[in-house]
Amino acid sequence: MANAAVAKALVSDMAKPTSNFFSLLELPLDFTVDLALLSHNYREAAKAVHPDRYASASDQDKRLAVQRSAELNQAYETLKSTTRRALYLLNLQEPMDEEATVQDTEFFMQQIQWREELEDLSDSEDIAALEVFKKRLRQLRGELDIEFAAVWQDGSQRELAERLVRRMQFLDKVLYEVRQLEERLDD
Amino acid sequence: MAYSEKVIDHYENPRNVGKMDADAPNVGTGMVGAPACGDVMRLQIEVDDNGIIKDAKFKTYGCGSAIASSSLATEWMKGKTLDEAEQIKNTTIAEELALPPVKIHCSVLAEDAIKAAVRDYKEKQAK
Repeated sequence: MANAAVAKALVSDMAKPTSNFFSLLELPLDFTVDLALLSHNYREAAKAVHPDRYASASDQDKRLAVQRSAELNQAYETLKSTTRRALYLLNLQEPMDEEATVQDTEFFMQQIQWREELEDLSDSEDIAALEVFKKRLRQLRGELDIEFAAVWQDGSQRELAERLVRRMQFLDKVLYEVRQLEERLDD
Repeated sequence: MAYSEKVIDHYENPRNVGKMDADAPNVGTGMVGAPACGDVMRLQIEVDDNGIIKDAKFKTYGCGSAIASSSLATEWMKGKTLDEAEQIKNTTIAEELALPPVKIHCSVLAEDAIKAAVRDYKEKQAK
């Protein structure tokens, strides 16, 4: 049966260890990712390991399919966000200490200023000003992506690459709080 | 997760929230952050001529445990010498506040902020 042959080929493929999330989703290992291609490849791969295709398969193959499906989800979620993608790439090169305290005085002074501005916006409930604030942060967040893309492959700039990805994480947190405030003001 | 009474007390009545002039020669500023949760902490000390910490202030954007850890740190630092302040350990902070394992990193952040503030002061003095 053709279907069984396809399923068998997929499962034997699944049993192979995956080297990384990029190869799993058939993308070149790079910080710059074609998002349309990422979604397309993810959907195709997810379809291929869908549990419905394994209704009559052996228990082991079923288990492998579920495992692969979880891997695909994780790969997709990781590569979709530039922050997680950048972290993932640096961790592939050399693991980062996830719990480490970051000291980046200049950036944290800026961070505290943003948080204070956000508190003021929360008090004033000025939606237009919040929009301007968000645009400014998004612009800076985009610049971090560009800076990171230029240095991540250069081993001698590892320290800078780590600092940039940390900045991404902190900026994402402020942007998350901006969205929460937006939701509150929308109600 | 339930916060301990001490955490809630420091969270609801934080001690020493505020700001000092970071450019003043007798002020040390520590700025630290935890990337995993996005918490940011500023801890400042004012040191007198005898090397005693006269005053301490903090501002923390983060969870209750991070705020309580830095609030407690500023209380403990006042009246201490720089060397004594540097001896404050995250484990002592965590114990005092009865922090659960997942919140230990908040006390680590406070310890690192103390060290960063002391270092900043010493660097200024060395100039």
